[in-house]
Amino acid sequence: MIDKSSASFVQSLCMGQVLEEMLVPFPTMKKGEQEMLEQVLASVNQLLAPRQKDFREWDLAGEMPKEFIEELKSFGLFGLIIPEEFGGMGFGSAAYSRVLQEIARHDGSVALTVGAHSSIGMRGLLLFGTPEQKKRWLPRLATGEMIAAFCLTEPGAGSDAAAVRTTAVRDGNDWVLNGDKLWITNGGIAQFYTVFAKTPVPGDGGKAQLTAFVVTSDMKGVSHGPHEDKMGIRASNTTTVLFEDVRLTADHVLGGVGKGFKNAMKILNSGRTGLGGGCVGGMKSLISLATKQAKERKQFGQPISSFGLVKQKIGDMVVDCYASESVVTVVAGLIDGGYEDYAVEAAISKVFATEALWRTADEALQVAGGNGYMREYPYERVVRDARINRLFEGTNDILRLFIALTGINQVAAQLKDVSQTMKGVLADPIKGFGVLSDYAKKTAAIRTGLVGDNRGFTKLHKALEPQAEEFEEEVREVAWAADRILRKHGKGIIGKQFATRRLADILIDMFVFACVLSRVSAALQEKGEEQAARELEIARVFARRVRHSVRGNLRRIDVNDDELVKSLADDAFEREAFGWDAR
Amino acid sequence: MPLKILVTVKRVEDPESKIKVKPDGTGIVTDGVNYKMNPFDEIGVEEALRLKEKHGGEVVVASIGGDKSITEIRSALAMGADRGVLLKHEGALDPLLVSALFQKLTEQEKPDLVLLGKQSIDDDQNQTGQILAERLAWAQATFASKKESLESEAEQKKQPGLVLSADGKKMQVVREVDGGVETLEVSLPAVVTVDLRLNKPRFASLPGIMKAKKKEVKEIATASLGVELQPKVVVKKLFEPPKRAGGAKVADVPELWKKLHEEAKVV
Repeated sequence: MIDKSSASFVQSLCMGQVLEEMLVPFPTMKKGEQEMLEQVLASVNQLLAPRQKDFREWDLAGEMPKEFIEELKSFGLFGLIIPEEFGGMGFGSAAYSRVLQEIARHDGSVALTVGAHSSIGMRGLLLFGTPEQKKRWLPRLATGEMIAAFCLTEPGAGSDAAAVRTTAVRDGNDWVLNGDKLWITNGGIAQFYTVFAKTPVPGDGGKAQLTAFVVTSDMKGVSHGPHEDKMGIRASNTTTVLFEDVRLTADHVLGGVGKGFKNAMKILNSGRTGLGGGCVGGMKSLISLATKQAKERKQFGQPISSFGLVKQKIGDMVVDCYASESVVTVVAGLIDGGYEDYAVEAAISKVFATEALWRTADEALQVAGGNGYMREYPYERVVRDARINRLFEGTNDILRLFIALTGINQVAAQLKDVSQTMKGVLADPIKGFGVLSDYAKKTAAIRTGLVGDNRGFTKLHKALEPQAEEFEEEVREVAWAADRILRKHGKGIIGKQFATRRLADILIDMFVFACVLSRVSAALQEKGEEQAARELEIARVFARRVRHSVRGNLRRIDVNDDELVKSLADDAFEREAFGWDAR
Repeated sequence: MPLKILVTVKRVEDPESKIKVKPDGTGIVTDGVNYKMNPFDEIGVEEALRLKEKHGGEVVVASIGGDKSITEIRSALAMGADRGVLLKHEGALDPLLVSALFQKLTEQEKPDLVLLGKQSIDDDQNQTGQILAERLAWAQATFASKKESLESEAEQKKQPGLVLSADGKKMQVVREVDGGVETLEVSLPAVVTVDLRLNKPRFASLPGIMKAKKKEVKEIATASLGVELQPKVVVKKLFEPPKRAGGAKVADVPELWKKLHEEAKVV
């Protein structure tokens, strides 16, 4: 049996192990939830489909009207993940993600308004709130009487969340909160803020740790700045939120004093399927737009849909969208299935889906040609809206480092054991032998592919055999590479961002590939080879894509231009300019 | 004067899905087709809810079909109907049988008013309401509409288009006829079928969907109702309309004449 509290597909992958039961069978929702979801989706469409013109106007105006937000509230979109007992829908991650997908098909700003509330704004309360805290706020959050916002980012604390300067100091039993938060989604329309502040931790030499607090907009000293003028998602509300001597009673501490950093990460990880769903929705709507456009638009006497280069773009969009939906669904399935250590997998879904949406938006605009650049058409808005996804909720660069460094955790731990055992092998030969032989077994399994358990998938549909074999082969190479990179750099790996990024890209490719295989296998089993033929084609194309990219990245571990590129960058930093003009 | 209203809903193919006929002509390809409540029935449900909001009473929603038809009943419950009845049936039916089954249900439920869409958008037969009234020997009013437009204030305020008399015994129905509308008065109980311009149906809110989960849906096997379930009208074959042949450009009138005369043979 797999230990759901610690199992991680990607970490095991780095050890050369495939934890098949985490991914196969492809997760599906419970029948009751599925039925309710269908109704919700139908209603969401009825609510949003007639609003296309409004969404465009609100984008230009940079704001959505209050009446519409009221409509969203009474429609019930703020209660998606809140348990039924508190007046919400009680949706799990999969159903929640699917609703966000549907909203995002219509408008990114609306998806973000709803998503920022549920994915991060109130999720801390749901995850770490005491029963009293839940009873106090969840019912009002479910009806939208309170909209929630997540307040972590500050001018000096972006990717480096630990650098937060907002403070909360003890005053008797109370806390007094001071600080400014930046770029807060829903900042100006929220009544419920999850705020992260530095607090001194008793008995830890005065060293400050992060703590999360619940702050409500009716408290004295809470205010917000003007609505920011943004590139995209313009109708979604973004402001600074300011806290000046805000007095909080002890029951406003969320999830324990000093546990804020860890909890902030947990909130972000757990909320990622909302953003992922949003990206999938964006892609689906772009594919509809671009395919219609390509069939209508005639050049050289024929519709441009007949041209190979247009087909290539559309085909890639389809593969990207399928892969994104697969990985988002698997991550949601892991969360709903009770797995606890899904941080790397969730990060992969975020990086992959946001970048797939970006590629899709860019290419859809390209298919639309000059029309795509005109405001009259939706493409330019989707491009602007899509750009934020690679930046917020953890930039994709930071997440790549996280994916690689966390991915190789188990490998690092094993190597540490091995090196310590090497030193102490004479002192404790029996234990020493165990550690060394485990390592030797793993190495042999990786090198030969002949021994060891869990080397690959065994339960996939037989039509996927060639892809499953490729996957297995690649797992061995990845595991070998992880071992090699760590032995080469040791602890120094943390400073080697070029190498780390490469490893991250490999892990992203591999995990998404695994998710695609699982989904296509389920489709083959359910519908038969004839009905699922297209999906099998997607698996083939994706397998080839992964093979190409993984091979390239593996090769570049040893042979690359990293040092040259770095020195060019350092030179540019020195000049703060480009150094050559052609004459 | 509270009203008990029975309103029917049918599960039909979503007109926005791409409908393809099976190569052997025995039906349509169902893979990839979405289903929804017949749009005319949505208008019926909306009208029933408005009548209930104005006069009080109960809205019972009924459908005939397989397990999946419960989805449409739930949709109506999520809009606000009180309870549902599913007459469980697999296989083909015609309007004679549908009306016979609804007759049995009407006799059980004893509503003051039966509301039906004037037709379902899949078969477009427009017969069930009329035959049902005949079977029940009740008054009927078809194609219910209203004088006010769908942008009017009455519509904004969600006023019902069907007007109940002060004594609660009669109902005034505005119906669409060629070139205008006429107003009928029917004595209750009655069967009314609704047309497109009667109202703009509401859609279910999420809290409505949650509430609907707890509402009762009774299932009745059609075989238990004592109706001979043998359709008299049978679909023999389905086929797509022939593809339109491309047009041609002609240089002048004599050429046009020649083509019309010799090729098309219409002049």
